[in-house]
Amino acid sequence: MGPGSQAGDGEIVRAVLAGDRERYAQLVERYRDRYARYATRMLGSVDAAEDAVQDAFVRAFDQLAQCKDPDKFVGWFFLILRNRCFAERRRNRTSASLDAAEDVAAADRTDGGAETAERRRALQLALLELTPDQREVFVLKHVEGLSYGEIAERLSTSVPSLKMRMHRAYDKLREQLRDHA
Amino acid sequence: MSGHDFHPLVKQLLDGDITLADLPAELRAEGAEALRLLAAVDRTDVSMPAVTWRTMAKLERRRRRFLPWLLAPALAIAAALVIWLRPATPPSSAPLVTVRFVLVAPDARQVSLAGTFNQWDAQATPLVRIGATGVWTATLTLPVGQHQYAFVVDAVRWVPDPGAPAVDDGFGRRNSVLTL
Repeated sequence: MGPGSQAGDGEIVRAVLAGDRERYAQLVERYRDRYARYATRMLGSVDAAEDAVQDAFVRAFDQLAQCKDPDKFVGWFFLILRNRCFAERRRNRTSASLDAAEDVAAADRTDGGAETAERRRALQLALLELTPDQREVFVLKHVEGLSYGEIAERLSTSVPSLKMRMHRAYDKLREQLRDHA
Repeated sequence: MSGHDFHPLVKQLLDGDITLADLPAELRAEGAEALRLLAAVDRTDVSMPAVTWRTMAKLERRRRRFLPWLLAPALAIAAALVIWLRPATPPSSAPLVTVRFVLVAPDARQVSLAGTFNQWDAQATPLVRIGATGVWTATLTLPVGQHQYAFVVDAVRWVPDPGAPAVDDGFGRRNSVLTL
């Protein structure tokens, strides 16, 4: 590693495991925003997403010795965050509230106009009515911009299975949004 | 298939496998409706700058809370010896003393105080910045006795008090000691 270059994830993980706890902040800093949008769309609220991302980092720290390939910390961390988001939605199934969608659509009011904000708000509410599996594949493909192949690799599943989930999600979203078409 | 389901070709359109022009004429309106749905997807970036200090503060707070448990057996033995060696004295509530904590940290965005008197909670006792001087202060009323503490700068950096004696916390860091 040359001067000025950033330490790799594996190097940081090994340093933390050797007792240099403060270096964990580098991993948090590096990845906290990468999945912030995923968590926000999965949970429907920036506040809930921030709690989930923080909890996931704390859990990852606690289980760091179980990270089999420290160089692939980020993929391992994503699975912890994913579990946290699924658990959160199970706990708060009934709280898919207008407030949550308001939270997500709030940024639109200034630059996108009321109509865009309303359509985004309606879509966010409809997303919260999907099953977590359906919502996740929709968010990863249409919000994060991943291909089916990339999603399949990340979630250790098959492309046909993902397409089936997604196509059910399309139908459900259409039904939810028919008043906003 | 219910009346609300998209046609399989429209689903291919949504998947990005075909374009609107590839659809037969009778499906174009449905295709356009489907694309309007995707146009409403919010891809705005989300940033969570507070997560770094919140995570590190939580890990640090937990570590410091854990420390007394590690020391508990030794302290229990020491306490038992003291009780055994000394004649029993009636318990009395310790008198209180008002103490002003001061730290000069011109570049800090926030400073707080964590110690044995607030269970090492880095958010419980914030210091107040005095104007633009870079001097941060907090005034607490504490019972007479010995207290250990540290300043927490920007929620991640634990700094011993430069104006007070310090002891090793057993994990390679220094805690300041205040004896009242």
